[in-house]
Amino acid sequence: MTKKVLLKYSAEKAGEPILASIIKETGTLLNILHAKFSAEGGEILLAIDAPDVKVNRVIELFEQNGIETKELKRAIQLDEEKCFDCGACISLCPTGALRLTDDYSIELDEDKCIYCEICVPSCPVRALKVSKF
Amino acid sequence: MTKTKVNKSVAAINDRIKRGDAVVVTAEEMVEIVRERGEVEAAKEVDVVATGTFGAMCSSGAWLNFGHADPPIKMQRVWLNDVEAYSGVAAVDAYIGATQLSETRGFEYGGGHVIEDLVRGQEIEVRAIAYGTDCYPRKELETIVTKDDLNQAVLCNPRSAYQRYVAATNSRDETIYTYMGTLLPNYGNVTYSGSGALSPLHNDPNYETIGVGTRIFLGGAQGYIFWEGTQHAPTKAMGTIMTIGNLKEMDARYIRGATIEGYGTSLYVGLGIPIPIINERVAKTTGISDEEIKIDLTDYGVPRRERPILKEVTYAELKSGRVEVMGKEVPVSPLSSLKQAREIADILKKWIEDKRFFLAQTVEGLSTDQVFKPIKQITAAPVAKDLMTREVVTAKPSDSITSAARIFSKRNFDHLPIVDEKGKLVGIVTSWDIAVAVGTGKRKLSDILTSKVIVASENESIDAVARKLETHRISGVPVLGTRGELRGILTSEDLSKLIGRRRK
Repeated sequence: MTKKVLLKYSAEKAGEPILASIIKETGTLLNILHAKFSAEGGEILLAIDAPDVKVNRVIELFEQNGIETKELKRAIQLDEEKCFDCGACISLCPTGALRLTDDYSIELDEDKCIYCEICVPSCPVRALKVSKF
Repeated sequence: MTKTKVNKSVAAINDRIKRGDAVVVTAEEMVEIVRERGEVEAAKEVDVVATGTFGAMCSSGAWLNFGHADPPIKMQRVWLNDVEAYSGVAAVDAYIGATQLSETRGFEYGGGHVIEDLVRGQEIEVRAIAYGTDCYPRKELETIVTKDDLNQAVLCNPRSAYQRYVAATNSRDETIYTYMGTLLPNYGNVTYSGSGALSPLHNDPNYETIGVGTRIFLGGAQGYIFWEGTQHAPTKAMGTIMTIGNLKEMDARYIRGATIEGYGTSLYVGLGIPIPIINERVAKTTGISDEEIKIDLTDYGVPRRERPILKEVTYAELKSGRVEVMGKEVPVSPLSSLKQAREIADILKKWIEDKRFFLAQTVEGLSTDQVFKPIKQITAAPVAKDLMTREVVTAKPSDSITSAARIFSKRNFDHLPIVDEKGKLVGIVTSWDIAVAVGTGKRKLSDILTSKVIVASENESIDAVARKLETHRISGVPVLGTRGELRGILTSEDLSKLIGRRRK
């Protein structure tokens, strides 16, 4: 299963090639879903598709380099009470994280979500929410 | 109409329902039955076909009666949770329309949400003002009500259950927000509405059994058809119905307030019509499949009444989730809930089987030749070519920046369109671009021109051009002919002349 890890950089650490060196050292492919930096530092959201041992090693290395890490368990939510399966969201989703099943129910595959958030306002009953990190 | 082999009356079918031996199937099940056994055998065997749809029906609303206050008020204007309801009828009647927006929450809350909240039994803040009369002296009223406090709460929809509806896509290079949902740039997705083979009106498009007085499933309760719907267009297979039902008995699972991004609010309405199979002709029409129902894939990127049609698509293609547009396969969104359409047909079937729902004999038919006309306009809305400046000074990409600077210094304008030798627009240079280029060492206009230009076409409406200027925060657009050749330029100054003209 793809793990999503949020990295928090202090301003001092922002200039160091920590991510690149960890990729090089572990040989693990790290996919950047979202990144934001300013004078106060910044954050990067990573998707890591690797065995747990490798993921844990990557997290450990970031921590050793003074980067705060946080594993995100649930970032996008589909409120199934509110959703009535209209499907307005599915043709907008660029990765197929939202799809219609054979019985026309909406299904959300969180692993595939890249948090582009285009689906959120498209929902006529506000059943989709992305938790801010 | 020609004679039929099978002839059953609605009364006879009701007798069978009463005895518990009526055969009821859903419209999806009927497709297979007709395909396998033919319409005559299907007509002998099946008594009722249950249909269903659950889609956004903007032309919806509810009549409410509040009862009289003491001292009494003749409500001149009334708001429900800050959404204004129409009260230009007797003292304490009001009509809350689904698309009316909240005055405090905008697109997030509207009449459709008020109706859902009423169905849910929630408290609604009522605020009314009046001018005061001898018999109705009160000028202001504020109170809180639920549906139980109202004398009547009646869902009354001028237009429901379009027989079918066009599919939408977008040719523009920007995302647009329409009543057909969010449409991605460059034909990036397709949206459609309606339940296809389950569509109530498409199962009896000749209105042999559907008419004034037909009892239906409406919002989870039993309601009625009381007229043809507004914009009824039966000759184009776009028939509609007016529907009515007791809001107090409805279920919020089938009445949902909705926000359509960048467009406004609406109401999703669950609706199902039972089709009595009185003969093989009706059996045949209820046997219609998704493969047989075709609709026009329409370009909503063109904001005109007659939008360009790209091709025909079937509901089967649309329901598959992907269709081909301009040589590429793109994802499709149904905007109505196919799952709940099925659920509604199943509930209707169950109601009839359980003897809780009986068919109503119609008292009048619905028009089969009504035409949907456009509004009569006494003045033509101007288009770009009516207002644009035709004599446009242009330059070539190979011209020098200095020569362009000279043009700007002599003439009073800010946009210099750059065209190739055939007169085709290749970019634009503004006086600001020239100012920025000073001292950079760049010499030719081709070095500084903006090639991604927001343009208008000659026959584009002024309202659409004005919206472009506003959303892109620009002060003018080149106007192009059909082959991309520059025909003129239209600036916000040209638009302001229009206001002077209108006031004359």
